[in-house]
Amino acid sequence: MLGEDSPLLKTTGLTRRFGGLLAVSDLHFEVRRDEILGLIGPNGAGKSTTFNLISGFLRPTAGRLEVFGRNCTRISPIKISRMGLVRTFQHGSYVRTARVRDNILLGTVHGLSGAGRTDRNRRVEETAEILGLTPYLDNSAGTLPHGIQRLVSIAIAFAARPKLLCLDEPLTGLNQTEVATTLNVFQAIRRDFGCSILLVEHNMKAVMSVCDRIVVLHHGQQLATGTPAEIRNNDEVITAYLGKRHAK
Amino acid sequence: MDRLRIPWWLAGGASAIAATVLIQDAYTTSIINLIAIAALTAASLRFVMLIGEVSFATAAFVGLGAYSAGVATTILDWPFAVALLVGPVLVTAVSIVFGVITLRIKGPYFTLIGFAFTEAVRILFSKTEFIGGTSGMIGIFPPPAIDAWLSTIVMAVVVACVFALYAIEKSDFGKVLVAIRDNENIATSVGINVLFCKVACFAIASFCAGVVGSLHAFANNVISPGDFSFLLAAFALAYVKVGGESSILGAVFGAIILVLLDSYALGLGAGENLFYGGAIVLAVLLMPNGLIGLVTSASRRLARARAGNGPTLNRKTA
Repeated sequence: MLGEDSPLLKTTGLTRRFGGLLAVSDLHFEVRRDEILGLIGPNGAGKSTTFNLISGFLRPTAGRLEVFGRNCTRISPIKISRMGLVRTFQHGSYVRTARVRDNILLGTVHGLSGAGRTDRNRRVEETAEILGLTPYLDNSAGTLPHGIQRLVSIAIAFAARPKLLCLDEPLTGLNQTEVATTLNVFQAIRRDFGCSILLVEHNMKAVMSVCDRIVVLHHGQQLATGTPAEIRNNDEVITAYLGKRHAK
Repeated sequence: MDRLRIPWWLAGGASAIAATVLIQDAYTTSIINLIAIAALTAASLRFVMLIGEVSFATAAFVGLGAYSAGVATTILDWPFAVALLVGPVLVTAVSIVFGVITLRIKGPYFTLIGFAFTEAVRILFSKTEFIGGTSGMIGIFPPPAIDAWLSTIVMAVVVACVFALYAIEKSDFGKVLVAIRDNENIATSVGINVLFCKVACFAIASFCAGVVGSLHAFANNVISPGDFSFLLAAFALAYVKVGGESSILGAVFGAIILVLLDSYALGLGAGENLFYGGAIVLAVLLMPNGLIGLVTSASRRLARARAGNGPTLNRKTA
């Protein structure tokens, strides 16, 4: 049984090697209950590999992964998802040819497998309302603006009502208004549904404003972990990634 | 689940079944049987295409269905209804094993394995003496009491199977299949067992291929290994492409057009294959989305034209 203070996700020395390339090495971090944790770093830092490792899409070369207190180092992505850790993907995490309604429905298929059509539709409509997608429910996802498509990706994952939602660059390509709307959605998801979020993102302003803590990766190594204020003032992080603009 | 257009299906299905009752001419009846059987073969092949795969194994499953019906009728002397069903049940079981092993791979590799399987099964038929070897099986007759109604039974079974495939495609499970085709990772990421869904889809389609085999055996009375080569699946693919892949009705329309064209081409002697092949090439080139695509775009244009007139009229009246 997972205790109140136990982390939802814990990595201990998580390492992944692709032949001669050490993609991520010796990662030690955790996602706590009701937390929004940012995972940042330059391109090639190992963020997507980390995402693939914690969601079961890749097996680690070494180290240990605990999800909701259970050792999940060698568990399939389906099982991890069914436990309550659901992820999105960096590119096109939705079905282009399907309507938004049918996209969101995918998230309900496992969790509400025993439930009737009415329950599933209710979940779809509730999810669409939370993410502001109600007006687009009957539109084909491929025909919608980029910002809406990003929200559809999040909606599919959130429709599964995960305990931990892992979002891979959900704000890429969004304008300022869309970013603000999406950040509000993250806060609402956490507040109203007790869903923690692990966020990979390059938009530093957004990460600094929404995250409780941040993990910084660089060349596959864990460079720093701390609150946004601590990360902003970390000289190593400033040199490797942030630069002077986002610091202090 | 999307709303099913049940009244349209009832009307279409009832008309097709009524046609088999009203038409008594033997040649026309045989063409109708061919069309019905081709339509269900194409619908079965297209159902696997929902998960993004082209299954040449469809031909092998049709063959297994036909030989099962043949063995059940001529050797085991089982009742007609049982002989009709034993093939689909056997084929479903075989397809589950085949699917669990092969559906872990995708695209051309899966198609090639299906092709090899079909040829292996065909050779197995021709090397097995108790089912007639290369000569095949003869005398697969339905009971005399229902012989006159066979065409109606064939059409009713085909209509029921095609409607069942349509209903499954429109269900939530059908939407999962399309999602798997377009982006398998999304389905996995929300806890959907992709392999299970693929195998289920394959088994449903194969059941229908087994039904096709049984109907083919009873409609032709004679079967031989050559009837079930990979060409059977290639023709089914042509029906789907000419009719249009986006709807199950495309498979049906494609089968109607190409079977009629084939029976016309038979009269052309040496030019038969050239004419038939040329017609398929032209149809695919001129109608990349098939007949259904042509109809859909025409109806959209009509709807747009109507919508364009609407506001103008409103403004005038205002």
